[in-house]
Amino acid sequence: MSPSKTGAVYEVLSPWAEADPMPLKGLSPRLDKLDGKKIGLLCNNKRASPLILNVTEKLLKQKFPTATISWFNSRSFSVSSLEKDREGEFNDWIKGVDAVVAAVGD
Amino acid sequence: MYDAIYIEGKGKPTVTFVFEHFANDAMSAASSKGMPVVRIVPEAIVSECTVVETIEAAITAVFDNMVAALTRPLTADEKSPRRREPENPPRIVFKGNLEEVNRFFYQRGWTDGLPIIPPTEEALAEMLTGTDLPANHLVEKLEPRLGKATVERIAINAVMAGCLPTYMPLLIAGVQALAANPVCGMMAASTGSFSPFWLVNGPIAKDINVRSTYGATNPGDIANATIGRAMGLITKNVRGIRKQIEDMGVLGNPGKYSWVTAENEEDSPWEPFHVDRGFKKEDSTISLMFPQSFQQMMPFGTDDRGILATVVGSIVPARMGSFALLLTPTNAGSLSSRGWTKKAVKDYIVKNTIVPDDYFKRLGLKTDKPFDRGNVTGPGVGPTIFHPSPRDPDPVQVFVFGGFGSWMGFIQGGGPPITKKVELPAKWAQLVKKYKSIVPNYVRY
Repeated sequence: MSPSKTGAVYEVLSPWAEADPMPLKGLSPRLDKLDGKKIGLLCNNKRASPLILNVTEKLLKQKFPTATISWFNSRSFSVSSLEKDREGEFNDWIKGVDAVVAAVGD
Repeated sequence: MYDAIYIEGKGKPTVTFVFEHFANDAMSAASSKGMPVVRIVPEAIVSECTVVETIEAAITAVFDNMVAALTRPLTADEKSPRRREPENPPRIVFKGNLEEVNRFFYQRGWTDGLPIIPPTEEALAEMLTGTDLPANHLVEKLEPRLGKATVERIAINAVMAGCLPTYMPLLIAGVQALAANPVCGMMAASTGSFSPFWLVNGPIAKDINVRSTYGATNPGDIANATIGRAMGLITKNVRGIRKQIEDMGVLGNPGKYSWVTAENEEDSPWEPFHVDRGFKKEDSTISLMFPQSFQQMMPFGTDDRGILATVVGSIVPARMGSFALLLTPTNAGSLSSRGWTKKAVKDYIVKNTIVPDDYFKRLGLKTDKPFDRGNVTGPGVGPTIFHPSPRDPDPVQVFVFGGFGSWMGFIQGGGPPITKKVELPAKWAQLVKKYKSIVPNYVRY
């Protein structure tokens, strides 16, 4: 059915909520190479995540044998949002790695 | 994505593997946290996949992309993203006839696919009579978009849904419920197609005709139909959770149109749900759960033994999340007459819902750990299916609604219920008088 040209005319209001502009953040500088670096593997609690990171670890060890690996296993979808009791532990882990590969299982 | 952004904020380069169909969702999440340039590596692993060879092939295929994401120098925009203004349309957004308005809203992605009532200034003004709060009052900012759920914006979406002004107090409390737990945002966007289920308690249910008896969650009652619909439009237009952009529900859920009932307090033998939650009986409340499934059963027998046997025998080990037993007043009366309190029923279900002996062995499943975070069953975990935890110490709820009959049901999935008190405007009695008579009058044939 195509819109007819007859009938009452309505001036309608926007249902789309206003939002404030958000200050944007840039990314951290990248590494020059992975050789010799400590790579963090961040695993959330979705069941595909450890399987994805197992393969990632295997490939990293094959292709970058001098790199080292460190895992952090989240108990939830997001350590930073939902596991405030582990903030210190998480920050210490981040400090100890050079870069992070995350799997969210989605 | 939130963790990736957090880690980038700590100065460490991060890359996230994301299923290729979820790239939009991932980037919306990243934008909502102020880092729209976060690096992801799309891969071909569907959500919750456990097939090891599929995962191995998919990660091997994109491994070089992952390495590049950690080592490729940043672009200027990645170092310092350009300011992006959120879309804030003008207040008057369109002018046209009924069909044109509907087509415009639909094409903007602002509806649930059903026709809407045009939200004009006049309709908004009438809707705002349902609250004493000023139109510009900010009720909550709703994640992930952090859209401002002002009273006016709630009312505009309520008009679109076809609500009456007397529903405004419930909608405002509903928005507060949505904001009360960050998990609500995840539920609305999850692959699990969790749907909000709204339970109304207290005098407001009768004041505004929220059905609690026969066919309580069927279509046909303006309150049940439009309160949930309005909350769905608010989820879309205020939260910014849109289908297959942020809402990645795989099967979908018809409950997302509207899934609202009042508890049948009048015919229940027990205290209402909101009293269990610490509210006064004369308080009005709205409670929110996010079940993904709804199951109805004819009990093995209609006495207490038959009802409880049906419950503990029908809860499957592959379930997950919170659970609510849905009893008709008849079922609840049968239990109560044999001395069962609501708490005793809940305790019985937690204690006696167990995985049958050899269940997993017969299925050829050998894992010795839980199958999933929300489904803590599996060989080696123990026989019980419900595991009270600090996060959810009370994993079984009991709701009494519906007509007189023997059918019973379950809803399950999602986090524990959230209950919010409804604040009524000063002239509530006058409002109720004005709108309460709007009910269907079915003609006999």
